[in-house]
Amino acid sequence: MPTLTINGQSYFSDSPPDTPLLWVIREELRLTGTKFGCGMALCGACTVHIDGQAVRSCAVKLGDVGNATITTIEGLHPSDAHPVQQAWVELQVPQCGYCQSGQIMQAAALLAQNPSPSDQDIVQGMNGNLCRCATYPRIVGAVKRAAQLIKETKHG
Amino acid sequence: MANTTETGVTRREFLVRSATLAGGAFLSIGVPPSLLGGKAQAAMAATPAYQPSIWFTMTPDGITTMHIIKAEMGQHIGTAFAQIIAEELEVPWDKVRLDMPLESAENFGIYGLAYTVNSGSVTTEFDRLLRAGALGRIALTEAGAKLLGAQLANCYAETGRVTDKTSGRSIGYGEILQKVKIDRKFSYPADFRKVQLKNRSQYKIIGQSVPALDIPAKTNGQAKYGMDVFLPNMAYGALAIPRTRYASKVLSIDDSGAKKIPGYIKSVKIDDSMGKCTGWVVALAETFPAAVKASKALKIDADPGPYGKLSLADIMEEFSERSKNAQESAAWVLEGDVEKALPQADKRLEVEYTSDMVCHAFMEPINCVVQHSSNDEWHVHVGTQSTGFARMTLTGYLSKVLNKKPEELKVFVHQYLVGGGFGGKQDYDDILAAAYCVKELGRPVKLIQTRESQFATSFPRTPTFHRLRGGLKNGQLTAMNQDIVCGWMGPRFAVGKQFNNGTDWLQLDSVDGKKQDIDQWSIGGSDHWYYVPNHRVRAWNSDRTTWAVQASALRTVSNSYNMFVVESFIDECAHAAGRNPLEFRLAMLNGKGGNRGIPNTGYPAGTPSDYYMDQLWISLPWPQEDSWPLYESGTVGGALRLANCLQVAAGKAGYGSKRLPLNTGMGLAVSAAEERQSPTWVACCAEVTVDPSTGKYRVNKLTIAVDMGLAINPNNVKAQVMGSALWGTSQVMSERLTYKNGAIEQTNYHQYTPIRQVDVPDFDIELIESGRHPVGVGEPASTVVAPAVANAIFNAVGVRVRHMPITPGAVLEGLKNKKA
Repeated sequence: MPTLTINGQSYFSDSPPDTPLLWVIREELRLTGTKFGCGMALCGACTVHIDGQAVRSCAVKLGDVGNATITTIEGLHPSDAHPVQQAWVELQVPQCGYCQSGQIMQAAALLAQNPSPSDQDIVQGMNGNLCRCATYPRIVGAVKRAAQLIKETKHG
Repeated sequence: MANTTETGVTRREFLVRSATLAGGAFLSIGVPPSLLGGKAQAAMAATPAYQPSIWFTMTPDGITTMHIIKAEMGQHIGTAFAQIIAEELEVPWDKVRLDMPLESAENFGIYGLAYTVNSGSVTTEFDRLLRAGALGRIALTEAGAKLLGAQLANCYAETGRVTDKTSGRSIGYGEILQKVKIDRKFSYPADFRKVQLKNRSQYKIIGQSVPALDIPAKTNGQAKYGMDVFLPNMAYGALAIPRTRYASKVLSIDDSGAKKIPGYIKSVKIDDSMGKCTGWVVALAETFPAAVKASKALKIDADPGPYGKLSLADIMEEFSERSKNAQESAAWVLEGDVEKALPQADKRLEVEYTSDMVCHAFMEPINCVVQHSSNDEWHVHVGTQSTGFARMTLTGYLSKVLNKKPEELKVFVHQYLVGGGFGGKQDYDDILAAAYCVKELGRPVKLIQTRESQFATSFPRTPTFHRLRGGLKNGQLTAMNQDIVCGWMGPRFAVGKQFNNGTDWLQLDSVDGKKQDIDQWSIGGSDHWYYVPNHRVRAWNSDRTTWAVQASALRTVSNSYNMFVVESFIDECAHAAGRNPLEFRLAMLNGKGGNRGIPNTGYPAGTPSDYYMDQLWISLPWPQEDSWPLYESGTVGGALRLANCLQVAAGKAGYGSKRLPLNTGMGLAVSAAEERQSPTWVACCAEVTVDPSTGKYRVNKLTIAVDMGLAINPNNVKAQVMGSALWGTSQVMSERLTYKNGAIEQTNYHQYTPIRQVDVPDFDIELIESGRHPVGVGEPASTVVAPAVANAIFNAVGVRVRHMPITPGAVLEGLKNKKA
């Protein structure tokens, strides 16, 4: 029976190994912040971190997760105050909000790899995440603001 | 939930009271439900009568919960409504909370129809929300004065406290509620009207960019959508993709393959006798992945039905043919005499425009959870644009499939956040199907559309065909004729016939002698605000298209194609006249005739231009003497407000003055979506660069000016305008749905491609606070981008593309034709 490490906790799932990780996270473990959008890794709504990398959980099979460490939006920060989350509230990014967990997870992974992204880096790094409300300009602004917050924390 | 079924208050009175519930005392505000039960549906027909409502509840801890009857789907309407109420109620903003009322027959009688469309929420509710807040403040001030032992005249309420000016002593709202029972009646409508509202200069919360109350939960995974509902013992349903979009018939189901899938329960052929869910088979399983697998493993034999061989090319051919038969048309605009004026023109244009089908493609696929409880109640959990219509539609359906009278059925709809609506979450097929599965299975069912089944069963915008004729005399546009052929969405909704004594209230009368039904939702926008002395719009309904593709409303409805057509054509006329498109437009946005708008005191009857001013619109009734609400018409100021927006946008963008690089151009467009009676004035200047070797183009910048009267929350208005404008950018650049052999061809986001980060232009958005009545901003800016881009492409490389979307291929072909 596969054991999953999600947000620092262990979970068990007896779903078939070909079950998309997304549905285990959402419907079995009820961590519903991770959203279903397309099922084909085309929209990014289901983005989680697997060993720190932003991954589309709809395209990962349960049986392939192994011992990897998974982080979902619920586990991004113990008090929901990750710099990306702070910036998202400060710049009032979400509209309908459905894609935003995925956007935030993508942005957090992007900043972990590139703490000082240029506008072009952000646009490229976030291009896989669809937002039908088209909050795109605020997403770019919020990623920049989050980068600034991270720097302030480090130097402050 | 506030309970106001107390007797002793008539419909002409308005009640503010506190009462004791399990949770302690509370103050509620509302009028008693006089339209309960069976009368509720009759009340639909009575719209635009004032519907009694309950807007908020205040508890002794001072927390005020605003009850938001409008769907929260990205526009942050709850925050806007709360700002309006809090302003007059004088509650501190940090004590404000939101909730969404349960939809039931009883609550329908209290709140009226829960339906979020037409960018109408702020427009229709602003005035009465202010008054509801003010009456609550008056009742609290009276009670507070008594407790303070002070003269009422010396007391005032501010940020949650009642203060006696003479002594300086004060008491908090919460404390008042702890100490006394408030029971104050106001007469309706007299006290409602008479209540003194603040001047706008006194506003403290309205006009502030307070953070939206729904945003924090949307950044930490806690926000709850319909998709996030779980009920004990529920099964999952996945839809097998039907053979056609509409009217196929299931002949047989072989589930031997599905039976091999662990967790598979059974397949249900959905009862489609109401003309909904046609050809639907739902696979039920213990998990959603198992249900999806099973749905794909089903072998379904289906009769494709009447549209099984129909394709988009056939539809477009039919449109073109049909437009040649004027006898079949119905007139929507009839000003002057186009046929007489056209031959007298010294220059004439005749061109055809077309637009493709598109769909909403919201990020949250449609889903719902339905439960039939042990006490015979039906509970629906869903994020929808109308919990009201959801309840009524399901009641009608269950009445049919269970053979019960509608009044015997207890149906409740629980509203959740909506993961994108855009006009596409006002059909209820999924709820009917889930309920039918519940009936067959005896367990709660969660039905989720996969992205593939979502595309296959989407409710697209109709394809359209337009023939435009224009006549120029001495450089003036003296005659304009637009013929529009498309599938009309109104008749498909057809709810009016059920509730309005058989007359279809969604349909207006044509303005010609025929007085036949005409669908505002498919024609609106063509009734533009330019003064053209001879102006005619004729429309044809392709009923086959309506049903075959299941034509529906998509963000600004018909404005989304009509503004592309009208504003492109106006540009063509300007160029043909040898005039600057800015100056050409401004000259016609002169507010003459019916384009002057309507002052609140009513409009002088008798001028010919009043024909399109005089039509009833269900959601935004004309303010009339004795009617409620009394808000100012959004049309006040008329076309002159549009001219102002255009000057601002063109000026800020540097239209005609900024030096532009090679193959770069600017284009203009204006729009007053959504309907003639509910305009939000918008102008756009788009700057576009075309690559002549590929036909690809980039939208560099959009400069947009919006006159929304008053911005309740300016930062959010900007977000809405930006999102709408990017929706428009997406529509013109990349969205296209195709239809073949009765089915929609696109299956997922690799084939249907909404805008992404890389195509986002720069923005300059100017909000014009004209001081007029506030109007909606969630849609209108989506209409101006496509024509502004089309006009910019023309100015950049001289190519006029008369089809939406504008593909690089079409631009390239235009360039080749130009050289040839």
